[in-house]
Amino acid sequence: MSPQQSAHPSRWQNWQRSLYRFRQSGLSIAGLCIVLVLLVIAVAGTWIVPFPDHITGGINTAARFKPPSSLNWFGTNELGQDVFTLVMAGARVSLIAGFGVVMIAALLGGLIGALAGYAGGWIDDVLMRLTDLMLTLPSLILAMAIAAALGAGLDNMVFAISMSWWPGFARLVRGEVIAKKEDLFVQAARALGASNSRILFRHVLPNVMSPIIIKMSLDMGFAILAVAALGFIGIGVKPPTPEWGSLLSLARGYLPDYWWTAIFPGLAIFFAVLGFNLLGDGLRDLFDPKARR
Amino acid sequence: MIRFIIRRLVLLVPVFVGLTLLVFTISHVLPGDPVKLAAGPQATAEEIASLSREFGMDRPLPQQYWHYATGLLQGDWGQSVLTRRPVAADLKIYLPATLELVFAAIFLAILIGIPAGLISAMTANRWPDYLTRILSLASIAMPRFFLALVLQLIFAMSLAWLPLNGRFPIIDLPPPTITGMLTIDSLLAGDWLAFTTSCEHLLMPALAMSLSPLATITRMMRASTLDVLQQDYVLAERALGLSQSLIILKYVLRNAFSSTLTVIGLYIGWLLSGSVLVETVFDWPGIGLYATKAIVTQDFMPVMGVTLSIGFIFVLVNLVIDLLYGVINPKVRYQ
Amino acid sequence: MKQFKSLWRWVAMATVLGAVSTAAVTHAQAQTAPRKILVVASNQDVPNFDPHVATGYSASALLRNLYDPLVRVEGNPPQVKPHLAESYTVSPDGMEYVFKLDAKAKFNDGSPVTAEAVKYSFDRLVRLKKGNAWMIAGIVDDTSVTVVDAKTVKIKLAKPFVAFPHVLPWLWIVNPKLVEDNKGADDGQTWLKSNIAGSGSFVLKRAEPGNLYELEKVASPWKSGGGNLTGAIWRIIRETSNQRLAVQRGEAHMALDLTSEDMDALKDKPGVVSVIEPEFRTFSIKLNTEHGPLADINLRKAISYAFNYQGMLDSAGYAQLMVGPLPNGIFGHDPKLAVPTTDLDKAKEFLAKSKTPNGGIKLTMVHVSGLEQQRRIALVLLDSLKKLNIELDIKPMVWPDMVASTASPDKMADFFPVYQTANYGDPDNIAFAAYHSSRNGNWQNPVYKNPKVDALILAGRAETDQAKRQTIYVDMQKQIVEDAPDIFGVLEKRKLALRSEVQGFIFTPVASNAVEFFPLSLK
Repeated sequence: MSPQQSAHPSRWQNWQRSLYRFRQSGLSIAGLCIVLVLLVIAVAGTWIVPFPDHITGGINTAARFKPPSSLNWFGTNELGQDVFTLVMAGARVSLIAGFGVVMIAALLGGLIGALAGYAGGWIDDVLMRLTDLMLTLPSLILAMAIAAALGAGLDNMVFAISMSWWPGFARLVRGEVIAKKEDLFVQAARALGASNSRILFRHVLPNVMSPIIIKMSLDMGFAILAVAALGFIGIGVKPPTPEWGSLLSLARGYLPDYWWTAIFPGLAIFFAVLGFNLLGDGLRDLFDPKARR
Repeated sequence: MIRFIIRRLVLLVPVFVGLTLLVFTISHVLPGDPVKLAAGPQATAEEIASLSREFGMDRPLPQQYWHYATGLLQGDWGQSVLTRRPVAADLKIYLPATLELVFAAIFLAILIGIPAGLISAMTANRWPDYLTRILSLASIAMPRFFLALVLQLIFAMSLAWLPLNGRFPIIDLPPPTITGMLTIDSLLAGDWLAFTTSCEHLLMPALAMSLSPLATITRMMRASTLDVLQQDYVLAERALGLSQSLIILKYVLRNAFSSTLTVIGLYIGWLLSGSVLVETVFDWPGIGLYATKAIVTQDFMPVMGVTLSIGFIFVLVNLVIDLLYGVINPKVRYQ
Repeated sequence: MKQFKSLWRWVAMATVLGAVSTAAVTHAQAQTAPRKILVVASNQDVPNFDPHVATGYSASALLRNLYDPLVRVEGNPPQVKPHLAESYTVSPDGMEYVFKLDAKAKFNDGSPVTAEAVKYSFDRLVRLKKGNAWMIAGIVDDTSVTVVDAKTVKIKLAKPFVAFPHVLPWLWIVNPKLVEDNKGADDGQTWLKSNIAGSGSFVLKRAEPGNLYELEKVASPWKSGGGNLTGAIWRIIRETSNQRLAVQRGEAHMALDLTSEDMDALKDKPGVVSVIEPEFRTFSIKLNTEHGPLADINLRKAISYAFNYQGMLDSAGYAQLMVGPLPNGIFGHDPKLAVPTTDLDKAKEFLAKSKTPNGGIKLTMVHVSGLEQQRRIALVLLDSLKKLNIELDIKPMVWPDMVASTASPDKMADFFPVYQTANYGDPDNIAFAAYHSSRNGNWQNPVYKNPKVDALILAGRAETDQAKRQTIYVDMQKQIVEDAPDIFGVLEKRKLALRSEVQGFIFTPVASNAVEFFPLSLK
């Protein structure tokens, strides 16, 4: 193989082949569609919902617990707020939170993994033992403890979850960095006298981006799930933030009579997670044909 | 083999020390003053100081850690500041409840997942296969707590087929405690009614927990069975005249065993930690609810106890699984 | 696909086996118990059984069944009834009480309840300064209680306190011998945490913290009469909806923490009796009168007039709006008091006079995380404040953190919601706890102080002439409304559900979720 000449065309061909496979896979397309719908709702949420003031805490106590109707598609809740509006608004909250979690986890884990992989020796040992230990700890309970200690709020929640999320990224990045470290182009850079940080940030990290991005997309669904789980336990956002898990948690008290307050936020979580999982699987196949089964 | 086991056991020591150190550090970095909270609203500075002395929290951190770690060795997991009960005694009550739930979830996952994976493989690319694959994709995306609520809504609230929550009917005395797991204790006591009653209580929470491992087992069984069916050695042995179904059964069983092991290793931590979600819905008195209560009151000894016990179980289970891999697959050499 | 045939059979067999075993599980019948055990569903755990340390209604409920006080309280309106003391006399100046103990009264180890035991218990309560000690703080000290003879005890008050008999039901008598035997270094606190040294009709049989507590009736209680219960179980069910369903399905006989939605759902359900009764339990939002924007009385008044009282009432369900600081119907309450109502024009008038005539500020409200009613009211406030162009930041907190924040005015949030249950049916309870400046730094009254109000409260405490006392409290209410230290909230009705099998239940509007089991029967 002569990588210099054939790298470009073959990568392009791979791309095309992958794209073809992605398009062939109905499930990936379904995932993509769900995610696109979520994104549209998240961006346009405030303009397309029927009762935008309910998102910021507006109430209408004269219309409490109305069942689904043409006016309130998903019914109304304990304060007469439109459940459809709240669920739509929840998309933005969940997407931002989920993205925040994978982003912070990828940054922190990436940094730790890159440092460990690049430096090697005792630094690698210490950082990786820490990572392994973190992986043995119960992540949800850890996140609950951190979030509760920091107090309610979306930012605290995101921070708490990412604190137990980074080890996966650290392991991944470390492995990739070690593999890339010995590559020709890195050795060439080193021979030319580039500094360690320059080699790491300019040559190694850009070349390990695609597995990181694949992991981020695969993790997105589960991050949304983790956010909702924390909200469901009651350690979550501040009111009036319409977060799906918190909505579901409140609605528990209204079962079975006011079932609509629970079913719709629950379904929203389900579809969001499903969408990102399907898309993530599809993207993995797209970038990393080896992982395909 | 023996040397390998001993070596792995010795290696556990630094892992456990690291775990305690990590958990201790995290819980002391977090804001919150459990002593002040436990002393109560009307407490004077003096009372807070005396309580703090009583729990040894006025001492320097390294000394506190030393005290905690040496206590652990003697079975002393510290004391809840709020209830003043020893954490070890609490864990003895709540851990079996959660373990029972986790075991039942794994049992259900195997019971349903292995046949489902087989059927899926045998009907590859026909509708039972598609159905199984779509269901397993949906299972992984389904939030446990939402499924738990829906199950409760349908089978307990609407149809009233199953009990709403709890582990055992309130007014009946549970079987004498031996393992703390009601299903096993009732069998040990020979009480069939108590057994079925506790199974009824266990069914919905276990089902809600089993979904993700179930989907994973199904997927693995499907993939490995498809592999087996295409392998050369199957063809070879068939040529040697072994009965066809016996061949397949042999490989399928081995695959079933190894995918079960893999799933247990993958999911044990996830199940133990995530049981809090299902325990919340079903008022299941396990370590999840125990930890939640402690977390909310910033009572960190119980939280450390729960975190550590889950960490220990995770490490031990994975060790046992590594050993068992060797048993079923002699190609894995002990080194 | 021929080779799969036998494999198919194998799979099918496994599946059928699985299905059969699952089916066998689901069709088992629940056991029925021949005993008469009352099952009570509550969401509150009992972390401590020490009668002089424990607080919270769950502890009160169990303690009042495991221990006995000098007198008990029953009925609506609440009446003081003899208990350990078969009678008592009060000196004309109201400063000296003499209690004559029931000759039959004995502890559950067989020893008699003596005057010595009463003195021991009061002294211990005063010494520990925990639990319900606040009810007699400054009234009873370590020299107040004296033994006259074996069955007669005298309590001399340090300060006049008209409501003294009303607090006595919550001050329990312990068996001195058992406590002394297990005294340890902390006055028996460790031992009494989980051991009972009482004379009550019930003893603790089984304790599963966080799950359930089972009480068993003693073979021969010293007290005669009572219902047919052989035991009672305090079952912790966190979700109110699950409590409701437990009663509906007959798995519990009584649910204690129901919401208005639960009561609606229980309507017309067979075998369920709903109890929806007014009670002396106030909910109001305390304003930070000392620190931050709400130190400005005009802003406080603007908010009091902007608040959506109807919205609060709607979201509270079975409730009534409070008229001023005291609960409606309690002695001394003035139903004609002029209190703020929703009036946006008036609100804007006051806002114009304040330091921020156009709003544009952000205020903070804390609430107990998980307390749904408080969250709802916080949202009602948020919605109301929008009309004054004021933003509201809502912070759910754990209760201990909230309590800690009341230590000083600069730590307290602008809005601090508080439930107060009257432990005794006298205006002094709420007036003193919630408006007297000596309680500053305490969750019931973090910051509000007015010397005039202080003087009126103390006068009301000491006044034995009912008509004069009434006038004092009316004046006090006027002055408090004038200062606008609170958004006066709602009196939520007490919402309980009972199975119709439960008999002998008499609703008492003080701490009515701390149920006395002795009089109850099961059909």
